[in-house]
Amino acid sequence: MPILTRSVVHPSRRFWGRLVLASVLTAIVLSPATAGSESARAGRTHEYDLKAVFLFQFAHFVTWPARSFRDETTPITIGVLGEDPFGAALDEVVAGESVGTRRLDVRRYQLAEQVGACHILFISASEADHLPAVLAGLRGRNVLTVGDTKDFATRGGIVGFGVDRNRVKLRVNLAAADSAQLTISSKLLRQAEVVRKGAKR
Amino acid sequence: MALHPLGRPANDQLETPAMIDPKGSVSLHATIRRVPGRRRVVFSMIAALSFALSFATWPCPAAGADPPGETPSALKKLSLEELFTLEITSVAKKSEPISQSAAAIRVVTQDDLRRMGALSIPEALRFIPGVEVARVDARQYAITARGFNGTIANKLLVLIDGRSVYTPLFSGVFWDAQDVFLDDVEQIEVIRGPGGTVWGTNAVNGVINVISKPASSTQGLLLTGGGGNVERGFGGIRYGGRLGPKGHFRVYGKYLNRGPSLRPDGDEAGDDFEVPQGGFRADWAPSETDAFTLQGDMYAGTGERPSSDDDEFSGGNVLARWTRGFSAASDIQISAYYDRTKRTIPNQFEERLDTYDVGLRHRVAFGSRHDVVWGIGYRQYFDDIRNSMMIAFFPEELLRREYSGFVQDEIALVPERVRWTIGAKLEHNDYTGVEYQPSTRLAWTPTTKHTIWAAASRAVRTPSRIDRDLHSPASGPFLLAGGPNFESEVLHAIELGLKSQSSERLTTSISTYYNIYDDLRSFETGAFPFLLANGLEGDSYGAEVSANYQARSWWRLNSGYTIQRLELEVEPGSSDTSQVKQEGDSPRHQWYLRSSMSLPHAFTVDIGVRAVGELPNQRVPAYAAWDGRLGWQASDAMELAVVGRDLFDRQHPEFGAPSSRREIGRSVYGKVTCRF
Repeated sequence: MPILTRSVVHPSRRFWGRLVLASVLTAIVLSPATAGSESARAGRTHEYDLKAVFLFQFAHFVTWPARSFRDETTPITIGVLGEDPFGAALDEVVAGESVGTRRLDVRRYQLAEQVGACHILFISASEADHLPAVLAGLRGRNVLTVGDTKDFATRGGIVGFGVDRNRVKLRVNLAAADSAQLTISSKLLRQAEVVRKGAKR
Repeated sequence: MALHPLGRPANDQLETPAMIDPKGSVSLHATIRRVPGRRRVVFSMIAALSFALSFATWPCPAAGADPPGETPSALKKLSLEELFTLEITSVAKKSEPISQSAAAIRVVTQDDLRRMGALSIPEALRFIPGVEVARVDARQYAITARGFNGTIANKLLVLIDGRSVYTPLFSGVFWDAQDVFLDDVEQIEVIRGPGGTVWGTNAVNGVINVISKPASSTQGLLLTGGGGNVERGFGGIRYGGRLGPKGHFRVYGKYLNRGPSLRPDGDEAGDDFEVPQGGFRADWAPSETDAFTLQGDMYAGTGERPSSDDDEFSGGNVLARWTRGFSAASDIQISAYYDRTKRTIPNQFEERLDTYDVGLRHRVAFGSRHDVVWGIGYRQYFDDIRNSMMIAFFPEELLRREYSGFVQDEIALVPERVRWTIGAKLEHNDYTGVEYQPSTRLAWTPTTKHTIWAAASRAVRTPSRIDRDLHSPASGPFLLAGGPNFESEVLHAIELGLKSQSSERLTTSISTYYNIYDDLRSFETGAFPFLLANGLEGDSYGAEVSANYQARSWWRLNSGYTIQRLELEVEPGSSDTSQVKQEGDSPRHQWYLRSSMSLPHAFTVDIGVRAVGELPNQRVPAYAAWDGRLGWQASDAMELAVVGRDLFDRQHPEFGAPSSRREIGRSVYGKVTCRF
């Protein structure tokens, strides 16, 4: 029951086939010559190891109002909202550390609504789409918001990580820090770029 | 011959001539006849130009590796000043913002899932432009992108954590058997348009990727449960903990019991359905660069039938994955999975399918401009079908093997301004031999707020068992004798889109496409026995517009509009009169608006309305459906929600021919979620 008669190989199919074959062959030929450069692991400091250390350092360079702690021994909580990019690094950095009488504590949150008593909050790139809503929900609370998404500080976050020539840079939105009633040490501010523009919240 | 894998008459596919709408539309098609050769010439020219250009930009490699970096514990001993002087490297794959990607992509986030009140994957896909979601009965959905909808729709590829869940039985998805613990889903990516270059055959009109969270993000205990008039009872428990200092795990169990759909007269259709499911995931990262994942699921569902024994479906899967990151621009991933699924429809059909898959994917940067991904894969299906009197697959047992390889290069023609992606996949299958699926995409980002993109692609749908092996009755003389000469269906697609972030508050996206289909499945009824063949061709075009508006810090609005048109015609020599009607299986227009409000005292209010045009081929009238959700985060640990669907409508049909279809009734349920 022949239903359709179709040419065996369409000329343009042959053309496509050769083109693809040629490009795959070229890729195979070229790859051993060039791939070696990338296969060696670049051994610089891992981005999120370093950022974890920065979060830990912020605990030393930021002053929270007394009412954000229940008592003298209430820990300083470092929170991560959304997908955690730090792996084990943040826990490793914070383990056994304290600032004065306060231990350091790491908590992870999946939803903005779950962020309870928290002093430093890293807002992951996974939350970038609804950053305005997350920040709005934290308004009036004494939380140091930290992020590394684009324009984090000018979008209303307090400390934004940037990267410039493979080095970490900080941008600090002082207006946002003020409205959260946080005092950031001048020692930290000296190393940071202070941004004001677009600091609506 | 109304075969249907779920045992219901297949009104949308394989229609018998007697069921055909008398108002044919053949005359309409005669006027749009094209010369097949010309468009192939155009595609060949695009391809030739693309490859010529790609060689011109091939770079000289950069060399050199840096000394090893410090551990986190050592780093914290450094002074603040010293920290700023350290050079960093990132093994985290730099994720390209969706707003700048050269494709029609939409991401459903965990927040969206929760605030839509979605209890299943299909319900999470309702508010995506270009995607059609039609509920067929209590457990079946017809889901597609950009046309060709049906309960056995076959042009959409669906992956759960990289595991393909479409069945080689009909190249579609049994949606009732695809479930995940929704609270543990990171996001669902929906790509409209062909994705064959990376994803392979079947990614003809779109790809859906369900991606679950790593176990480290789902620590602790989560309890969730609720019930209502239609979603009679559902619940889940998940516990996540640590596996030594470098690993995490989670285990979950869940259960869903859904009440029946309705007959047009309002009576219950007797298709109640329940499915318990359980699973686990373990992640282990022994070093900064290596990550291992092992995960799996098991399920066993039953669907009631009014006049016979219950349908049963069950299965399980286990997946292992190893990823090593070399740098931000380079990583390698090796993964393997095994999936078993079994389905029994009493007196009609029984299938057991075992799938083995192994794949390797390597991403590497050449110089500063080329970001290359390549991969190879092998998949093996063993399909064992028990035939019945009226429906039979020959051979009953079949082993199928697929080999594939792909390479794709993303080239920064002008850094941060113009990106050009070119690639192709070659795939070998037992039915049609080697298939090739090339594509080329260009994205121009004139300012960081605007991206204009264009793409040309070729994608194929390779034959599934239903195309080749389906016979009726089970012994000769056959009325239907399969499709012995069935070849792949072919799509050539051209896409053009614009994404813009007009302000901090408003983002918009427009995607347009022109699709040319060749060798689509036809049902040849000119002589006995009837056969399946590739006697249809056609084209479709459409536009999808969406906007996201942050009206206030606490109020987000989201809207989308889809217009599409599909025109099919029979190729010379074909006697098809039924499949050509598929063009009427999709709505011409779809529109939705969603409002998400975060109110004081941790209340959230979500309202969604969607309007779906009529399906002329099935005489399903246009409808509008209102959904709502009121949520309250009562404490850090507990959230309460009330969800209503189809609020202002007692019942309405979404899919299926009038004689046999089921309708969807209004539903309300409450839900409690606790996290500890």
